[in-house]
Amino acid sequence: MRPGSVGRAVRGGIARRRVQVIVISLVLMVSTAASVLALALVVDSNGPFDKAFAAQHGADVTAAFNSVKTTDTQLSGTRKIAQVTAAAGPFPQVTTTLQIPIEVQGSGAADLTLPQLTIVGRASPGGPVDDVTLQEGHWPTGPGQIALNSNPQNDNLPPNLMLGQHVVATGIPGKPRLTIVGIANSVTNTADGWVVPAEISRLTASASPVGEQMLYRFASAGSAAAIRADVADVARALPAGALTAADSYLSTKAAEAVGIAPLTPFVIAFGIIGLVMSVMIVINVITGAVVAGYHRVGVLKSIGFTPGQVMAAYTAQVMIPAVAGCLGGLVVGNLLSGVLLERTANLYQVGGLGVPGWVNLAVPVAMLAVVGIAVLIPAARAGRMSAAQAITAGRAPRQGGGYAAHRILGRLGLPQPVTIGLAAPFARPARTFVTLVAVLLGAAAVTFAVGLGASLQRVVTGLNLSKTDQVQVSLPMPQGSGGPGGSGLPIRTDRPGPGPSGHFKLPKLPSAEAAQHAAIAAITRQPGTLHFVAEADEEVSMAGLSHQVQVTAYQGSADWLGYDMISGHWYNGSGQVDVPTYFLTATGKTVGDSVTFTYEGKQLTARIVGEVFDNVNNGMSMITGTQTLADGGLTEAQPNQYDIQVRPGASAAAYAQALQQDLGPLYGVNQTGGSGGLPLILSLLALLTLLLATIAGLGVLNTVALQTRERVHDLAVFKALGMTPRQTIAMVVCWVAGTGLIAGLVAVPVGIALQHLLVPVMGASAGTAIPAVILSVYGPADVAVLALAGAVIAVVGALAPAGWAAAARPGVALRTE
Amino acid sequence: MDTLIQLSDVTKRYDNDARPAVGGIQLTVAAGEAIAVMGPSGSGKSTLLNLIAGLDRPSSGAVTVAGERVDRLSETAVARFRRAKIGIIFQFFNLLDDLTVVDNVMLPARLAGMARRRARARAAELLEALRIESQRDTYPARLSGGERQRVAIARALVNRPELLLADEPTGALDSATGEQIGRLLLELNRSGQSLVLVTHNPDLAARYTGRSVELVDGQVARDSGDGRARSTDLVAGAEPGLQVLP
Ligand SMILES: Nc1ncnc2c1ncn2[C@@H]1O[C@H](COP(=O)(O)OP(=O)(O)OP(=O)(O)O)[C@@H](O)[C@H]1O
Ligand SMILES: [Mg+2]
Repeated sequence: MRPGSVGRAVRGGIARRRVQVIVISLVLMVSTAASVLALALVVDSNGPFDKAFAAQHGADVTAAFNSVKTTDTQLSGTRKIAQVTAAAGPFPQVTTTLQIPIEVQGSGAADLTLPQLTIVGRASPGGPVDDVTLQEGHWPTGPGQIALNSNPQNDNLPPNLMLGQHVVATGIPGKPRLTIVGIANSVTNTADGWVVPAEISRLTASASPVGEQMLYRFASAGSAAAIRADVADVARALPAGALTAADSYLSTKAAEAVGIAPLTPFVIAFGIIGLVMSVMIVINVITGAVVAGYHRVGVLKSIGFTPGQVMAAYTAQVMIPAVAGCLGGLVVGNLLSGVLLERTANLYQVGGLGVPGWVNLAVPVAMLAVVGIAVLIPAARAGRMSAAQAITAGRAPRQGGGYAAHRILGRLGLPQPVTIGLAAPFARPARTFVTLVAVLLGAAAVTFAVGLGASLQRVVTGLNLSKTDQVQVSLPMPQGSGGPGGSGLPIRTDRPGPGPSGHFKLPKLPSAEAAQHAAIAAITRQPGTLHFVAEADEEVSMAGLSHQVQVTAYQGSADWLGYDMISGHWYNGSGQVDVPTYFLTATGKTVGDSVTFTYEGKQLTARIVGEVFDNVNNGMSMITGTQTLADGGLTEAQPNQYDIQVRPGASAAAYAQALQQDLGPLYGVNQTGGSGGLPLILSLLALLTLLLATIAGLGVLNTVALQTRERVHDLAVFKALGMTPRQTIAMVVCWVAGTGLIAGLVAVPVGIALQHLLVPVMGASAGTAIPAVILSVYGPADVAVLALAGAVIAVVGALAPAGWAAAARPGVALRTE
Repeated sequence: MDTLIQLSDVTKRYDNDARPAVGGIQLTVAAGEAIAVMGPSGSGKSTLLNLIAGLDRPSSGAVTVAGERVDRLSETAVARFRRAKIGIIFQFFNLLDDLTVVDNVMLPARLAGMARRRARARAAELLEALRIESQRDTYPARLSGGERQRVAIARALVNRPELLLADEPTGALDSATGEQIGRLLLELNRSGQSLVLVTHNPDLAARYTGRSVELVDGQVARDSGDGRARSTDLVAGAEPGLQVLP
């Protein structure tokens, strides 16, 4: 036998099984694409940070010390601690306020007051730890020069800093001026700016002590616990109270992964579901194809094919479309990943992020290995079979569970085609099971995706506090006031906050009291006002934290604002605060603990009574009543904003417009909520769901197509007895409709469980726990509709082959026996 | 006597270029007639039967059965026509193996929308007339060839078709069993059932039908009858007709 005949047998087989070829290649394409996407996202979610961290020998811990309580020699001595593998410092450091003169469009020049900045004195950017990358200009070489940290995660500095600009240290007598000579990037954010060491003393107000900074790398620093142990070692080696703050690289890393990390668990889940489904469908397609082809195997053997040639013919028949699908999926997966990864890549100056080469190699190899195993087993069996055996094995099984099923279903009084169709799965239990699993996973993916989408919407709503229609009014910032401009609100807030007028000193503004009165009067005048509350935002510092904590204080209870509670309760008295999860994680506190913080020299203690879902100031915030601040003696806290809930039925947009008109341009009026910030993740979700539902539908299509081919003779008999095309379609659809319905019923709890499992994981990777409100999104109506998803997938998948079966003429098939 | 089947210049080609399977057939069959279609293998007998049953469409020509232009009906209409007017039996019975005997027999009635109870009663009546009522809940795989063919006949008759088509109904049976089936068909025809019987067997054709049409290469080579012959005239002493017909 010439080798060419195997090829011809393969080509003949492929041409005759067009459906199977299309299904195999599509399934492989979709699952390869999903796997590539999943792996690329997992690998790259921390990719930029890890690359930069490795390149810069980033600091595992950035520690600040009180130089009054310890000496440089003692600090240098901490290098000898066993766990410390590398250290840099001590560097003198100071925390101070800087102002940058900037141009405000339409209003001329203004001074932008930056939040409290950490300035470190370092002679050079290099070193064994935190080898800072200089991006522009040069490192400070003398007095009056500063290099600023352009790390994109550093919220303290405005974007678009320019070389040659001047900054003024306003908190220091004499207000020394510094020129920006360099823009640098420290991956672990060890400082906001750097000067030559001698400059630090000039920037230190005579009263405040000089701080010292040490940067450490430790032998084990993989977890928060390991870091805590390392920091404790350092603290023990020094006099008590010497260590004032220790920042772990983990929080920076988490903050940087925040954009993409929450996507990772769900993409992995989808990848795994897709993979299992593909395996199921590939096995179903391939064993079905080989079994359906047994008759042909018999014929091939009877004309002299060897078992090896038969196996080769079948393996090739499956592998050719499988390889084609895999390659297509690789392309699609790379394109999709490219779109997603581009955003994170732009954030960092670490070069483009692509799908790693090993992913592009490993995914197709793994997929094809699965296909290979799935095809080899039945192909080997076909190869071993005698020609006569093969010819008879190719027939659809006629005995078995079908009998009892017919008898039972027959009693239900359903139309005959439906009864016959519903009984069919019992005759092929193995195939029915595989179809069931494929549809189940598809329907579970749909259920999960619907729930995840709803949860994400609620996350956006929760973060915007826009469950009800709300409007915010921010007050103009008077000169020299202690308002948020002066205390340094984050420049990029995540909540629609005060407009530009909140940050800049502008001429001819009303006094704080006048502005408050004007706002209250205007709000009260509006007929659409339901509730409103004054809000004061202040930044406070806490021992052990190098970053400031934002305090949002409301006048009164304001429980209608709509914060989602994770645990505990909303503050209901003075001295009570609610905090986001990230605050608890960062401070190691739990609900019920007390926190002590400092504002303008005064110390205040409050009790944490609840955990709220919020991400203002990256979750380093506290929410309380203004009474808490007033009782602590903080009289300077002034409302800088009013939050208004409009009456039900009133349009928040119209309300905001009317209020803005009343108050004039100095006041910023914003409508909260509205546009969700999730189009990317939602479209990704929709895309993956569609892909998985498509795989499931293709699996059904293939099963039904196989079955119609096997039962072509029975179908012809039905038609000869007068079954109309419509009845034929009903019967064929019923072959899988029952299976689909059962799969759908099982899939709903599976999908909901998956959502309840993954949403908290996604939250955790974004640094927050998830309130019950966000998790419980499935209503009874949703469940009922979703339970039909399986049946819908099955019916849609079966319609095409059912149509083919209905259209086929019975004459030919009746001859074959 | 009414014309039941009228074929006018009917041609069927399976492949466009090839020789037609049947070509230019003219044939008229009256109601109540029993005719045998004979001819060598490949002469187009089954093709002809399929065209009459609407299982296939002619390439050209007109097929009229019981007043319907079968070749012009839609798929749905031809299915309805078939289950109302035509019963078919095959050489290999074509019973559905996962349905019991009684369910097989009921199936065409159920497809036509007959209530389950009535369909069951009708099936029971036929099974009794065909003397296989004891096997009603058996599956076809357990039956002998003769029993299977009787089930197939019962199934073909359940909707009281005007025309019974049989494609080599005894071809898979031994001669004694074939004889039984032949007599059964004869009885049916005596009670008024129109019948078109395809067979290789000239003896069967002669004994159980009143007219034989011979096909050669897809053309009518010989037609013995004038459309009036009835099998009853030929077989003396046959049993009274089966009392299962309308
Ligand atoms: N589906 C088909 N496709 C192509 N050719 C066909 C088809 N069915 C029948 N033929 C051809 O049409 C011709 C008539 O076939 P048909 O089955 O009608 O013969 P027949 O008289 O019933 O033969 P037999 O006595 O062997 O059953 C044959 O040449 C056959 O090859
Ligand atoms: Mg034939």
